[in-house]
Amino acid sequence: MSNEIKMKNKSVTEWVKSGDPWVWLNAGAVAISVIMVIGLLLLIAVRGLGHFWPADIVEATYELPGDSAYNIVAERVESVEVPAAQLREAGVNVGEHHDIMMRTLMKTGNRDVYGSDFRWVVDAYVTDTKRPEMLFAAERHEWGNLYGYLKAVKEDGKIIAQTKDLTPTDSALNTWDEFEKRIDRATAIHDEIYQVEKHDIGKINYALERIRLEQRGYELNNTFTPERRADLDAERAQYDAEYKGLQSKLVDLYQQINRDSFIVQVMDGSEHEIQVSKIVRAFRPNAMGIVAKLGFYGAKLGEFLTAEPREANTEGGVFPAIFGTVMMVMLMTVLVTPFGVVAAVYLREYAKQGLLTRIIRIAVNNLAGVPSIVYGVFGLGFFIYFLGSGIDQAFFPEALPSPTFGTGGLMWASITLALLTVPVVIVATEEGLSRIPRNVREGSLALGATKAETLFRVVLPMASPAIMTGVILAVARAAGEVAPLMLVGVVKLAPSLPLDGNYPFIHLDQKFMHLGFHIYDVGFQSPNVEAARPLVYATALLLVIVIALLNLAAVTIRNHLREKYKSLEM
Amino acid sequence: MSETKTHSIDISAMQRTQQPLRIEDEKICLSVEDLHLYYGEKEALKGIDMIIPEKKVTAFIGPSGCGKSTLLRCFNRMNDLVDSCRIDGKIRLHEQNIYEKGTDVAELRRRVGMVFQKPNPFPKSIYENVAYGLRIQGINKKRVIDETVEWALRSAALWDEVKDRLHESALGMSGGQQQRLVIARTVAVKPEVLLLDEPASALDPISTLKIEELIHELKEEFTIAIVTHNMQQAARVSDYTAFMYMGDMVEFGDTNSLFTNPTKQQTEDYITGRYG
Repeated sequence: MSNEIKMKNKSVTEWVKSGDPWVWLNAGAVAISVIMVIGLLLLIAVRGLGHFWPADIVEATYELPGDSAYNIVAERVESVEVPAAQLREAGVNVGEHHDIMMRTLMKTGNRDVYGSDFRWVVDAYVTDTKRPEMLFAAERHEWGNLYGYLKAVKEDGKIIAQTKDLTPTDSALNTWDEFEKRIDRATAIHDEIYQVEKHDIGKINYALERIRLEQRGYELNNTFTPERRADLDAERAQYDAEYKGLQSKLVDLYQQINRDSFIVQVMDGSEHEIQVSKIVRAFRPNAMGIVAKLGFYGAKLGEFLTAEPREANTEGGVFPAIFGTVMMVMLMTVLVTPFGVVAAVYLREYAKQGLLTRIIRIAVNNLAGVPSIVYGVFGLGFFIYFLGSGIDQAFFPEALPSPTFGTGGLMWASITLALLTVPVVIVATEEGLSRIPRNVREGSLALGATKAETLFRVVLPMASPAIMTGVILAVARAAGEVAPLMLVGVVKLAPSLPLDGNYPFIHLDQKFMHLGFHIYDVGFQSPNVEAARPLVYATALLLVIVIALLNLAAVTIRNHLREKYKSLEM
Repeated sequence: MSETKTHSIDISAMQRTQQPLRIEDEKICLSVEDLHLYYGEKEALKGIDMIIPEKKVTAFIGPSGCGKSTLLRCFNRMNDLVDSCRIDGKIRLHEQNIYEKGTDVAELRRRVGMVFQKPNPFPKSIYENVAYGLRIQGINKKRVIDETVEWALRSAALWDEVKDRLHESALGMSGGQQQRLVIARTVAVKPEVLLLDEPASALDPISTLKIEELIHELKEEFTIAIVTHNMQQAARVSDYTAFMYMGDMVEFGDTNSLFTNPTKQQTEDYITGRYG
């Protein structure tokens, strides 16, 4: 017996000695990490991408015990199990024999009619569920989705087409066709209005602001001569005239767009008249086949990527945020790379290696560990309030008291993030420089090259893959950073992109949108949390993809450089 | 290595030299006067006096750590790169002290080229490796560079092997080819002196033979100083040999007499393989 135990002990010891437990431990750790990453991506992908799918609209009768029955028309959002006791506490009169009940979140839309988009229903009391083909959903410029039956289409107050049927009869389908045609027309006019307001009038406003600043500049210098006044007035008059022309065009367009209206019957049976111009798109999901749904899905996804946000960011797209993120990261890269490389070259190549350099190196390494919000505070205090207001006083006195660079903006955000990531670039570059074999440097020096020539012609090219590694790490860190940006220039809704057709084209002083901040804003600052939640997932997925793409670009460049300068270790 | 073997090779090498050489007859290229070199507190060269004759091959032999490489690196001031290094004394290159203040070190290194133990081509094309020294000097005319590259590669007996792949990476060549490329690169800037720091020690026997043949040809045009661990090699390629031990120049004379009739006991002990 004791012999047997001894044998067993021995085999366990041997098993530990063989190293197998280690291998299992390591493999397990790797597996868990991989599963967690994949799970994370899957979760946000499923939750985010599902949002764009045109869900069926159900019509059902809902009758809580002791309450009167009513009709409900809605999209299913999600179902959860709740204990019956909880429902009882909430005042829902559920029967005694239930322990656990299913509860479903229904999106009923029509916020203008009911006050809220969503309501919870207890599945057990939903009866008579149907999916009528003529039920339609309409996305609107405001007030969220609309669900109901189309009853009539009007032009200038006169009925053009109408139907009494809730089933796909000829008259119902005719009315629907008429409705769709008018939506297309309204959308076209809407685009035109957008063009005029955003681009043409935007340009005039920009020019008028420039004239105002010019005049103010002259006034400050006391060089506002009558000739200059005449010049500026003439210019201003020209723009005013142009503006008047556009204004009348706009009035005309607005009249046209408001021509059509339609009558909709919502779930409680009441009828409402709504202008066609309010509709972004209307569709009948219950009548759509899989191909039509896929097409719709693609269109929605495209809109998400390329359009501007609507309705306090809870609808529409996130293009300005994508643009702002990418532009800010690129600007940061352009700033951080030369700065980090120059600093690393000095530390490694020129500075006398001693106590001081060691201290500096330790300090630089530790800078990488400073919480990012601290950089935000520093950016706000030093860059914006000190440097920015200094720049304003020196170069933009005519715009004061409204600040130009004395407030958060793209440039300060990029510089703040460059500061945040510069230690990474310095460390990686130093590492790369230290790996260049001594004999290659000596080979260059022995040919009569100076130290600087050696550096630029041999050492830095050979260190470029390491520099790119630093840049990759910097991009990865900067692209996902949100906290400091909130202090130095990110806003929830920027009026225009930081890159446009107005001179000087890149507006470094402008505030911008950022995907990371967008997630925070949509998810937690939105008035309509339920509606915004899928967008949080979708935007998070997009942020991950954008960062991955930025990194991929940098990795590609690095691999190319590695290939070029390979076999350093000879 | 065995005593007899050493001698048999040495004697066969000696037989090539027809005329007995006399150091007094030679033109002086480099002269070393009372050179002391310190690494921190440690004295690595203890007062070296010698001359390097022009257009001849001078070999430095001696056991590891005797200071022969250090001395070689003094000739083009490569030791300047070592922070703790301090030098007293003079080295004259054609009468001009290279340790004088205000010496243009880059220009000195162009005039005194150096080839290292390990081949160290740059991660550039073969062509660009050879053109490197020229570009450093600001020569950018393609015709001039083309001609010089071809001439340098021919001088290093490499032209026929690489003429069809001049624009491929130098890192794809064999070790021996790389070392000859480095020699070509050094020759391309037309130095007066070539310093070879154990140029064949990292190479296979065939490549070593090629390098040795190359040294024979190159001495027509260049003054050559070579450090080697390999006594047979010193005997085969050099006209003069210096034997160093513990930072001292023990014996310096023409290769023939140093190997056949050493005047110092230490030298004899070393070349007969009794230590080192």
